[in-house]
Amino acid sequence: MTENAHLQAKDVNVWFGERHVLRNVNLTFPANQVTALIGPSGCGKSTFLRTLNRMHELIPSAGFAGEVLLDGKDIYEPTMDPTQVRLNIGMVFQKPNPFPTMSIKENVLSGLRLSKKKSDNAEELVETSLRRASIWNEVKDRLNDPALSLSGGQQQRLCIARSLAMNPEVLLMDEPCSALDPGSTRRVEETILELSPTMTIVIVTHNMQQAQRISDQTAFFLAEDGNPGRVVEFGETEAVFNQPIDPRTNDYVNGHFG
Amino acid sequence: MDPGNLPQLPRPATEPWRNLSLPRRIARNLGHGDWPLLIGSLLLTAFVGALLVSVIWSVLEAGFKAMSWQFISQNNVYITPTTSLDFGGVGHAVLGTVLIVGLATVITVPLGVLVAVYLTETREKPRNTVRTLVQAMSGLPSVVSGLFIYSALIVGLHIHYGGWLGSLALIPLMLPTVTRVAEEALRLVPMELRNGALALGAPAYRAFLQVTMPAAKSGLITALILGIARVIGETAPLLLTVNYANNTVFDMSQPMASLPTYIFQYLGGSYDTALARAWGAALIVLVLVAVLFTAARLVSRGKRARKRKSAAKA
Repeated sequence: MTENAHLQAKDVNVWFGERHVLRNVNLTFPANQVTALIGPSGCGKSTFLRTLNRMHELIPSAGFAGEVLLDGKDIYEPTMDPTQVRLNIGMVFQKPNPFPTMSIKENVLSGLRLSKKKSDNAEELVETSLRRASIWNEVKDRLNDPALSLSGGQQQRLCIARSLAMNPEVLLMDEPCSALDPGSTRRVEETILELSPTMTIVIVTHNMQQAQRISDQTAFFLAEDGNPGRVVEFGETEAVFNQPIDPRTNDYVNGHFG
Repeated sequence: MDPGNLPQLPRPATEPWRNLSLPRRIARNLGHGDWPLLIGSLLLTAFVGALLVSVIWSVLEAGFKAMSWQFISQNNVYITPTTSLDFGGVGHAVLGTVLIVGLATVITVPLGVLVAVYLTETREKPRNTVRTLVQAMSGLPSVVSGLFIYSALIVGLHIHYGGWLGSLALIPLMLPTVTRVAEEALRLVPMELRNGALALGAPAYRAFLQVTMPAAKSGLITALILGIARVIGETAPLLLTVNYANNTVFDMSQPMASLPTYIFQYLGGSYDTALARAWGAALIVLVLVAVLFTAARLVSRGKRARKRKSAAKA
């Protein structure tokens, strides 16, 4: 599994102020696979996700130790520019956050404008990105409408399209369906499954069924009694849910706590 | 289960509460303990409303006596306190106010917005000190600001009275208003939008210019307009730094007229014509401020209306 590691976290530790919130997390994300991060609230899985594209640095008191290797190269090297890292590793947030002052089309192209990149064919990029996020058919006739005129589920898929337009190698998703109704959730899940053959995806989710439906491998995070969060179990999704090695994983995936 | 094929129900012709009188309609929505509160707030509203109407009515009534196109456009050359209202006007003072306040605005608004950006978009340690200092400036008496420019530049450096010194004296008065309103406007932009832009690989300054600032646009325009309204009526700092002129002056290094100092000049006289000129100028200031505030309301409402429209579509 390590040979085709696309993204790899080595001994990742995170502090907020003096509080140690993540301890020695070692995870490997193979190319073109979906990895689900599960665990109770406050176990550090969202924080871990944010270390993968250096978004946690935006929190004033955050401290970090460890390595995150993208294609074998540490994104925390002093010479690495965090904006370059984020161009390669896209992110979709819990709450849909389309840019309210822009139209649907402008939202898709916003990443290019924000990083001052040129597109050879903007029209084509808009269409392919929206198609990959499976929202093209719903918005193709109103690309110039404000992004906020879309429903919540459509907004979230627009945000996915916005990330895809930058053509990232890795897509991080932080509970992308938690603010959506079941119908929209299903469509986002279908989108994830359609993307997975071409993209490495890491998704944080509270929904056990969702993790089972869409992920190839699963990592279970747990922070016990004020201790820093760490990975209790990591493996094929099938195995983590059906034959968990650790009893705490068994309790969690079967709904005994959390 | 296709909702498109359901028949629309007609709205009932009689909605009983529509026929009630206004007091009954109010009573319908009131609980038992609400009566004293309602009467109290009505009384207080009436009191404040009476004060407001009385002020506006005084200015309107007395100001209209002087009002004419000639009064708005001509200057004050050869005019004495007893000259008939058929001659002379405040055109030079309107020009002076526009130039002095305009220069102050051009300097203060970018400065105030920059301070607001420092306060909201950075994590620098001294920012609470900066915020306190800027807000403390709002307690600065305007005459002190004028006296500072007067003693430092006019007495100290022997610089001649001039419009630009008036603009300098207005800056510390305008800055706290602009900064506070701009800071609130930027703070209202959700953190998720900034994060969304940064997660796309944007440098912080581009995320601000292309996402945060457009989202706060109407609030920033409000900051501009409230800043202008704050200083447009200031008299003392201008008396001390700009002095006065009766002719039309475009050169901001020279003494020039402004609406507040024009009012001050004529309010001292005891002739009816002089007082009418002062009231007329006061009316013009009132109208200018009213126009600015209405513009501010329209700009901020414009945004809400657009939001409603898009919400209705969704």
